[in-house]
Amino acid sequence: MVGWQGVAAAIVLFGIGTLGLILRRDLVVKLLALGLVNSSVILALVSLRARPNLVPPLLDGPTPQALADPLPQGLVLSAIVINFAVLAVALVFVMRLVERYHTTDSTRLERRTHDEEES
Amino acid sequence: MTWRRAMPWAAVAVVAAFCGLVLSQFGLGQERASDAELWMRAAASLGARNVVSAIILGVRLLDTLVEVIVFTVAVLGVRYFLKIQEESTKAGEEIPESPLVAASSAILLPGILMLGAYVTVCGHLSPGGGFSGGAIAASALLLAAASLGAERVSARFAESRFERVEWGALAILLLVTLAPALLGRAVTTDLLPAGVRGNLASGGTILPYNVLISVKVFLGSWVIVHHFLRHRGEI
Amino acid sequence: MNGVTALLILLVLVAGFALVQRRRLFAILGMSVFSLLLSAVFLLASAPDVAITEAAIGAALGTFVYVLAIRKTGRLMVAANDVPGLLHEETGVLSGFEVDVLRRVAAASGLELVVGLMSRDEVEDAVRRGEADVAAGGIVESPDAQPDLLATEPHLATAQFTVRTPSAQGPSAIFRGEVGDLIDAVRGGDEVAVDLDLARLLALSRATPRQLEVARRDGTAGYVFLVAGERGDLLQRVNAEIDRMRRAGELDEIARRHLS
Repeated sequence: MVGWQGVAAAIVLFGIGTLGLILRRDLVVKLLALGLVNSSVILALVSLRARPNLVPPLLDGPTPQALADPLPQGLVLSAIVINFAVLAVALVFVMRLVERYHTTDSTRLERRTHDEEES
Repeated sequence: MTWRRAMPWAAVAVVAAFCGLVLSQFGLGQERASDAELWMRAAASLGARNVVSAIILGVRLLDTLVEVIVFTVAVLGVRYFLKIQEESTKAGEEIPESPLVAASSAILLPGILMLGAYVTVCGHLSPGGGFSGGAIAASALLLAAASLGAERVSARFAESRFERVEWGALAILLLVTLAPALLGRAVTTDLLPAGVRGNLASGGTILPYNVLISVKVFLGSWVIVHHFLRHRGEI
Repeated sequence: MNGVTALLILLVLVAGFALVQRRRLFAILGMSVFSLLLSAVFLLASAPDVAITEAAIGAALGTFVYVLAIRKTGRLMVAANDVPGLLHEETGVLSGFEVDVLRRVAAASGLELVVGLMSRDEVEDAVRRGEADVAAGGIVESPDAQPDLLATEPHLATAQFTVRTPSAQGPSAIFRGEVGDLIDAVRGGDEVAVDLDLARLLALSRATPRQLEVARRDGTAGYVFLVAGERGDLLQRVNAEIDRMRRAGELDEIARRHLS
């Protein structure tokens, strides 16, 4: 079952996502990296309290079993939906930027906005 | 450019902070394992079999409500910044699809919609709920748009027609949530009976909440997808 | 090593693989696979609610929204460098030899032509990343060849010229900047020594009254378009249309209109 391995994978994924966010210059890939960071946090929260031999948080029968902690699961559910909504809005903003500056490259965008300020 | 030089270090700091936060919580897991029992008792008193939905629609209901509002605002943002110009619609814009895709989507479509409805309605009994059910149903509509052409689906399923349903669902959701407070009871009081656990009619207000959230997420996701369909390829 | 550990390692590999992709479409599809694997991990971590939500929203809706945002159905995206005569924008209107050729290529495939003007170095990068389908704007076959991009058949003959202002010192270098900047520099009295292709040379000599020493270099070359390495289908379509235009005499007719 997922336990410390999940936490370790989440930390690595967080690192990969942050690297991608900084090193890749394409805004779309930057958004993908941001989504990866979000997913890694969700994975960390879910696997923090996961231990071997837990069952999904469903009440079955009268005798209580060793259930997985339902609280982090309930909370990250919101994070997934909000991530989708935020992604959609971010993509719309990228579309608006492309319409005006004709590029999704962050370095070029910086240069063009800089040129615009000067002129 | 000092910021540019500082950026890698800022990233290292963020990753280290995340690492520290996660690892500091890792040890806490063991001695507080009895938390699950607390939530189980809360779910049992609500009459729900799925403890997660009992949490997000029972104890943490206000969180979920505000989350739905955040989603609504995001949909409004997409609507505002990606206006659809009706006159720009050309007949040639439809995506030509092979008859195989059209036929298989016609078979799959009712099935996926049914699955979405099932996941929504049984949210208090089995894994699922309003958020996932609404998203599944929205992906069915997306499939229809891909196979039949976005213009035909959006003509059949015009935004102006369901706008009222969307806002109505949000209004009812707010009203139902605030109803206990309006009646002078504690905010988290459940007005519907708990029922027998395992029955469809159980879990108090979880079922109506799930249906309302599902409608909201379904229509909201379709609005997002529809606007992106009309503005495709702009990046 | 048990199954979950293997799945988590696969998860990390897929995420890394997705984020190093140069083409955005592959990066998006890689992240879609990542989402599916992640929802499998959630299922194994006894979190079925999270798994079902991640699969429906992360893997299905999120991927679709990305793909819809970047897909270019019905458009032929051209990244181009402004060269008067070949591909030039004035008061918002595009004109030139290559514009007319590309219009016909787009029309032959039932696409709408969209041209984005950018500097010469950015043109090839835009094609590499999938931002544009075709690179255009005075790209000469041999000096501008790129190992990872495919060149179409030459659509117009040209040659390389060494151009110097009378008192320029030193050897000439292949010019990789904007024609407009070069014209401004020569008009402003700078001394330059550059290697130019025919269209850029004509633009320069028409724009400035200064005396230029022009020497033709050996050999002939042709103007080409560039497409991404994996777009062999597009290359064939462009080549077929250029070939048809050449045999029908349309190429000569367009060339007369713009370059005589």
